[in-house]
Amino acid sequence: MDRNLTGRKIRTHRRAASLTQGQLASRVGISPSYLNLIEANKRPIAGGLLDRIAVALGISRTELDDTSEWRIVDALNELIADPEIAGSSEHSRTVADFVGRNPEWADLVLKLYRAFIDRNQAVLALADRLSRDPFLGESVHRILTNVTAIRSASEILEKNDDLSDAQRRRFLSIVAADSERLSTAARSLAEFFDNADMRVRSGTAMEHVDTFIFESNNHFAELEQLGEGFLRRNARSGASHHALIEMMVADHEKAAPSPAAGVPGATPETARSRRFRILKAMSATLAGDKVSRLVHASPSLASEAARTLATSALHAYAAAAVLMPYEPFLAAAERWRYDLDALSSQFDVSYEQAAHRLATLRRPGAEGVHFAFMRSDPSGYVTKRLSLPRLPLPRYSNACPLWVIYSAFQNAGATARAFGALPSGDRFLFFARAVEKGPQAVTFPRHLLSIMLACPAPEAGRVVYADGIDQSNPQTTVPVGTTCRLCPRENCGHRQEAALVI
Amino acid sequence: MSKARVLIVEDEPNIVESLSFILGRAGFDIETAVDGAEALQRLRRQVYSALILDLMLPGINGFDVLRSVRSDGELKDMPVIVLTAKGQAADRQAAEAIGATAFITKPFSNAEIVQRVSELTGG
Repeated sequence: MDRNLTGRKIRTHRRAASLTQGQLASRVGISPSYLNLIEANKRPIAGGLLDRIAVALGISRTELDDTSEWRIVDALNELIADPEIAGSSEHSRTVADFVGRNPEWADLVLKLYRAFIDRNQAVLALADRLSRDPFLGESVHRILTNVTAIRSASEILEKNDDLSDAQRRRFLSIVAADSERLSTAARSLAEFFDNADMRVRSGTAMEHVDTFIFESNNHFAELEQLGEGFLRRNARSGASHHALIEMMVADHEKAAPSPAAGVPGATPETARSRRFRILKAMSATLAGDKVSRLVHASPSLASEAARTLATSALHAYAAAAVLMPYEPFLAAAERWRYDLDALSSQFDVSYEQAAHRLATLRRPGAEGVHFAFMRSDPSGYVTKRLSLPRLPLPRYSNACPLWVIYSAFQNAGATARAFGALPSGDRFLFFARAVEKGPQAVTFPRHLLSIMLACPAPEAGRVVYADGIDQSNPQTTVPVGTTCRLCPRENCGHRQEAALVI
Repeated sequence: MSKARVLIVEDEPNIVESLSFILGRAGFDIETAVDGAEALQRLRRQVYSALILDLMLPGINGFDVLRSVRSDGELKDMPVIVLTAKGQAADRQAAEAIGATAFITKPFSNAEIVQRVSELTGG
């Protein structure tokens, strides 16, 4: 599929500016026929020419950038492949054109789809709750039992004129006793519905947060300042950055102790987790205003649930920025060639904290390797996700089973790595490790999460995880997809479900 | 002719009392058990023409009692009327698979109980 929307956008803006192809071409110093090829997406465009066209059209370059549109195209492709929607291959063929021509409408369709998923999940969750809730089941049984006793005894009283006084009194007392029990059962049922928290968490709030983070390019300069401010102050004091963070964390704990939720018999919280948790809590005070401004300024965070999740994500970002200040972390990453063990050791952070930080090295003019980030549990449930423009991570179904994020569970603690080629032809280096999360105990099941990073193959030479893999040999690259529903590789032995749209 | 003997297995004493009364008046000889263990004890000692069995019993539940009855050479043909509550379709299917003869749904009418027990005991 054609992955360039920029040509269509140039055409749309040119027409809006009432310019002919000839007029625009002459302003930017190219031939009208070349501009025609660009607008028809038959020639790639980037760099200086794109800047000149943006200037000639009187718009900013980002308005011609197609990154956010591709995110919508990828999401709409998932919509088309959803069995409940069952789009056709015609939809799939024309989706990019649709988004290119009508980005606002495409966005609206996507919002509608998200709302549909949310309502669907709410209905399913409530139905499940009503049919399985033990209190409700027990209450209904209790009520039916009382009604049975009352009905049976009252029928006896009604239809048997020859009852002795003792029998009459006995059956009347049954009616009275079971009526009272029925009242109690009915009242507690009514209270249950009054008090029950029947709200359903928005399933797509997480997605709105994904969009917000993606639109911000997973980089928040305001929060980076927090980390760098600490670094400068600490440098002036002559003490090490880490020693001062430790002191600050200890002071905070003394002033406002915040014990972690302990599990009896389990290992105590690790020093790294504790430090991160406390810094995240401190961020609410130190960067609360900044975070609130960022969250409320984003049109993507329309619901309270999404704003709450985003606030938590940004406080975690601030904690990471303090622990791993941008410039020293980027320098160390380049020096260690993005070796996560070396970085987590140098900055005294967990593997996951270091991995997530790598995906935030997006400061304009000082970017690190571009990484997508994904975290999954062993059942395939994705709990964190950051896409790259050409590597969409699936939102509504499981990822390709060939991704190393899953094979990493086979050997927890070891790094699984591979080059993968998407059906689009784009190649990426994937590397993942399953790490233990939270308190551990002999009697508990291990809580493993797989952390995966992926970078475009052209950048993989800067990354230690590509070492030893012969990139010139095509056999070292695994043909992968993003998700089975959208994957055209018909003969793949790992296919979990049929492709719905090819 | 001797009266048909019926065992009621139900843990709700008020329901047991009413059932005993109406079936007694209808000419049946009634015995009762309040849980599965007592029911199995009585079934081993005594011959019954029919069993009225609630599914939700403390300890050994109605399903287990029904399973024991159907796997016992002497009891396997005994009519078993299972008491179910409305909305327990899954329980009903499970009891049917084990070999329940008939079902009566709570809250039932007395006449319905008498009629079903009479049909199944040839009364």
